[in-house]
Amino acid sequence: MTKSSSKSARGRSVLLPGDKLADDLKAGSGTFRRDGEAHAAVLGFPNDSSGYVNVHPVAGRYSPRVGDKVIAVCVETGPSLWRMNIGAFQNSMLHHSETDWKVDFGDTASFIGIGDAVLAEVYMVDGSGSHQVTLKKDDCRKLYAGTIVYIPPPRVSRVIGKQGSMIKLLRERTNCRIQVGQNGLVWVDGEPDQIARAQKAIETISREATSSGLTEKIEKLLE
Amino acid sequence: MSNATVANLMRGHIETLAAQGKRTDGRGTNEFRGVSIETGLISTAEGSSRVSLGDTTVMCGVKLLVGTPYPDSPGRGSMTTTAELACLASEQFEPGPPREPAIELARVVDRGIRESQMINFEDLCIKHGEKVWVVFIDMHILDHGGNLFDCCTLAGAAALSNAKIPNVQHGIADKDVDLPISCWPISCTFAKLGEAIVLDPNHEEETVMNARLTVAHDENGNLRAMQKGYNGAFTGDEIKAAVKTARTADKVLRKALKEAAG
Amino acid sequence: MAGGNSDIEFIKKGKRLDGRKPDELREVRIEAGVLNRADGSCYLEWGNNKVYAGVFGPIECHPRHKQQQDRAIVQARYTMAPFSVNDRKRPGYDRRSSEISYITSQALERVVMVELFPRAAIRVDMQVVEAHAGTRCAALTAASVALADAGIPMRDIIPSCAAGKVSDTVVLDLNKEEDNYGQADLPLAIVPSTGEVVLLQLDGHLTPDEFEQAFDLAYKGCMDLYDIQRAALANRYGGSA
Repeated sequence: MTKSSSKSARGRSVLLPGDKLADDLKAGSGTFRRDGEAHAAVLGFPNDSSGYVNVHPVAGRYSPRVGDKVIAVCVETGPSLWRMNIGAFQNSMLHHSETDWKVDFGDTASFIGIGDAVLAEVYMVDGSGSHQVTLKKDDCRKLYAGTIVYIPPPRVSRVIGKQGSMIKLLRERTNCRIQVGQNGLVWVDGEPDQIARAQKAIETISREATSSGLTEKIEKLLE
Repeated sequence: MSNATVANLMRGHIETLAAQGKRTDGRGTNEFRGVSIETGLISTAEGSSRVSLGDTTVMCGVKLLVGTPYPDSPGRGSMTTTAELACLASEQFEPGPPREPAIELARVVDRGIRESQMINFEDLCIKHGEKVWVVFIDMHILDHGGNLFDCCTLAGAAALSNAKIPNVQHGIADKDVDLPISCWPISCTFAKLGEAIVLDPNHEEETVMNARLTVAHDENGNLRAMQKGYNGAFTGDEIKAAVKTARTADKVLRKALKEAAG
Repeated sequence: MAGGNSDIEFIKKGKRLDGRKPDELREVRIEAGVLNRADGSCYLEWGNNKVYAGVFGPIECHPRHKQQQDRAIVQARYTMAPFSVNDRKRPGYDRRSSEISYITSQALERVVMVELFPRAAIRVDMQVVEAHAGTRCAALTAASVALADAGIPMRDIIPSCAAGKVSDTVVLDLNKEEDNYGQADLPLAIVPSTGEVVLLQLDGHLTPDEFEQAFDLAYKGCMDLYDIQRAALANRYGGSA
């Protein structure tokens, strides 16, 4: 999703829920079938890949997928687990065994307190919408400094840019460490002034995600 | 609601910036966000306005109905103010009858307008002891982007400035006339972020503020209403400084209001 | 319906009192994405009706006992502002608002893909800020646009429109006077791609023939609104639908 959606989106007209899709393709994400035909389920732009037609939404909340890197904020601590907000409609569970810490029963809050943030990976999503995250993957860790910027999840691919070009630009021009969660939470750490510049740039990208000449605009903003 | 949990990192960053006199949206400490005021949009209301302050939008309707005066003020009209925190304005606003925040908001706006004597209630007497005009100021919050107090006071004042007394409809006189307005109350709300104090908090800043202070002035620079909110605290010096700041900072809103009122 | 006031002649020389033909809609203007905070939103003007709709969701379902284990629920809520009518309306929820909210929620659940979000809620808030008859149709029409704008998966976009009877003539989209003194009002909402009826009410007096005529007229009105809804959504993303 992060790779080519914005590119293929340009020059094509937006699809609306219920619109019929090309009938030689199989129904992919953001679609549904009715009477054997594929239709768009969300407002978005089409993208064909390997025989499937997907509709990439232009709006909407985060829907967890296994393997996604997300920024999670702790909303509740239990004796052996944390409940983490990842922007989905249900909170995610982080079990103490999914960390590298040795957490005594009832001592979870001394590792992650309410409002603390982590970079985590979604490792389980079940059919009822429940999901769990883990810290036992590459780069996953508690975040101790910086700030969190919130953007709509469909804008994530624009903040990252083609082959990571936009985020590279942001990092270079602000000297900030930046991690973009697939859930639309962006962690930014650096000098307070530089964080503020990065935040402004990220919010601009998100707001103007569908306009052209965005890279030039951001370059100018961060000159 | 779980989504209301504020990330500690965001709180820390906003407070760090505020301590250096800076803000996440690039504004100065005592700078208002952009304001836009439209009036006369609603034909079923005697006066109306739609006011935006940054990301916040409030629609206000003023209705005038004929009622009986209160026994202790037989020669004076009266006024009622309500605020509806409509569910579409914020995920945190829940359906149901008005809760404390909506009631506090309506009462603070009410005091600013009432105490400034913006409306001369003697002019609203139709028949002494029997019939008076009752002014209903109903504020509908459509978008909660922070600082509802100042946006609502502006919306209320703008809608009143545009209101007509519906004499014809109620058979009182053969001509509708402007609701007489004597002065313009403007409120300035400050938020305490850590130890720093900023004017006109946006939504992000409101989620981390620990105390709030609203100061309403009339156009002569006299105080007409104040309200301290939240469970943090201000020092006496901080409050005196805020009052001074408010007296100059409100000029930009006053100008916008006068322009909209024509 | 106030029972029909035959003293008023609502149609003269084939034109209604506001100049419309019997099968003509009032002017409708729809804008998507007008609010900052809501996930999706819509502002709609229909004649002098003015409605905002805003959507949050899917979010956690409150109160918990309303949760459905296998799907989301749509919590639509219709409210009229106190200043939206000539006699000030008392703020808050009344029986009329409750009923409209209830049937609107059920209509929307037909197209929203609720099965994708077990135990969640999708909150749809409709605020009528100026009312001149037909606000339930206006509110539902705006709500559908706001849902699509919020990126909620749906099978279609629901338009809604009423037909009615004045001076013994079946007409489309009653205005305030026609609604107050007319003989019947038939609000309808449909799923355009399947032709399914998802909301229908009738208030007044129609013969079976008149009913068929009114139904077909309201259906046609819905299809006209559907085009305006689609254009509003496409317009927001620089395309044409």
